[in-house]
Amino acid sequence: MQLIQVSLKVNGKKYQLETPPNRTLLEVLREDLRLTAAKDGCSSGECGACTVLMDGKAVNSCLVLIGSADGHSIETVEGLHKTGAPHPLQKAFVEKGAVQCGFCTPGVLMAAKALLDQNPDPDEEQIRMALAGNLCRCTGYTKIIEAVQEAAKELHHE
Amino acid sequence: MSSTTPLLTGKSKNDKIRKTLGKVIHMQSFDYFAPRTMTELHQLLHATAGKIIAGGTDMLPQIRNTKQSPSLLIDISHIPDLRYIQENKEEVLIGALTTWSELLESPLIQKTAPALTQAAAMVGAPMTRNRGTLGGNLGNASPAADSLPPLLTLDAMVHLTSQNGQRQVPLHEFLAGPGKTTLKADECIRQISYKKVNPPFGSVFMKLGARQGMTISIASVSVLLTLDINGKIALARIALGAVAPTAVRCPDAETFLLGKEPSTALWQEAAFQTRKAITPIDDVRGTREYRYHVASILTRRALESAYTLLQE
Repeated sequence: MQLIQVSLKVNGKKYQLETPPNRTLLEVLREDLRLTAAKDGCSSGECGACTVLMDGKAVNSCLVLIGSADGHSIETVEGLHKTGAPHPLQKAFVEKGAVQCGFCTPGVLMAAKALLDQNPDPDEEQIRMALAGNLCRCTGYTKIIEAVQEAAKELHHE
Repeated sequence: MSSTTPLLTGKSKNDKIRKTLGKVIHMQSFDYFAPRTMTELHQLLHATAGKIIAGGTDMLPQIRNTKQSPSLLIDISHIPDLRYIQENKEEVLIGALTTWSELLESPLIQKTAPALTQAAAMVGAPMTRNRGTLGGNLGNASPAADSLPPLLTLDAMVHLTSQNGQRQVPLHEFLAGPGKTTLKADECIRQISYKKVNPPFGSVFMKLGARQGMTISIASVSVLLTLDINGKIALARIALGAVAPTAVRCPDAETFLLGKEPSTALWQEAAFQTRKAITPIDDVRGTREYRYHVASILTRRALESAYTLLQE
């Protein structure tokens, strides 16, 4: 198995990697770049715990072959708080109690960010459909939906 | 450890932990090429026994659970020439790498194939739609693939290319069974095309799954309906998914509808006739009997809905 060269931009920072090709973007983020926010839940695109943004779009990083990510721009939760202050989504998740065990939270936050970047004023149905691929076993989703609505309001004010 | 069967072939330092957990996460080893042009792709397909990967949303789970064990993967996701939605006077042409999200957002698809837009909206979650491609959905050839019923009602053609040239195959001939197609080893899917149908028409896709979002079809249906000037049925195409080895058209039900006056009883009878076209199985998502039952109900609802659209 030949190693491949991959260049990535993650949270604005450029990386050049040499890696075996049978790895996913998620494995490289977690093991090589030590960005461990995105989680390996199901390894099959069902749970959404590994959600990151690739060129601004939400993807399951466990289903992106590292070679496919070559040349693309990736955002993870680690890049959300650019100035040290939490992103309005993060703030709203804390304030609304949308985080319990926290395993799903990084994926939910990135899926929610992709939604708000595209649609700044989503209704409840649109939020639920945007988060349909993110499983949470603690919150019952209600608090998560409220937090996304709250963050949308906050972002409007900014 | 008494077991001598290695669970994993990868070489990560975490393998030991993963083996202890008993979970097969790592993928087998394979070589990898990412061609940038169609010429490069054709050369690779000609010279190797590589397996094509596009979005990876079907392929990677299949590699992980060892349903696929390619020694070489050819990643076509870096070929920009395969990503487009175009039209000419008669046809709509969709590049194989077009994602579900791109289909969903396309005004041209919405105008010429509303059923395909509806299907795109119901595939997976945004993450799957952002990566999964139309070419991949065809190549993977799941009987439950959501693009297939709408494309079958449009008499879609699959355009295949190789170093030796190109050929076009009607979609129903391209599909050969669960996970099987008539694609040759040195060929790739270039694009999918369909002829535009003159409006007004009723075009509908419906599926039944375990939940609303992010679900795999237990059964799915697409209907394309047009009426003549007297209000009688001029064109009726019905295709069902997840109820036979491939998605299928229902010729008996279609012929039955032609020239008839729309009515609730007519939809009911046509829906019942779809039984002749399908051979459902028991699986994790539903039983054979249940699939017969819902195929008929979905067809009736889709016909009613297509007719309602025509009256608007």
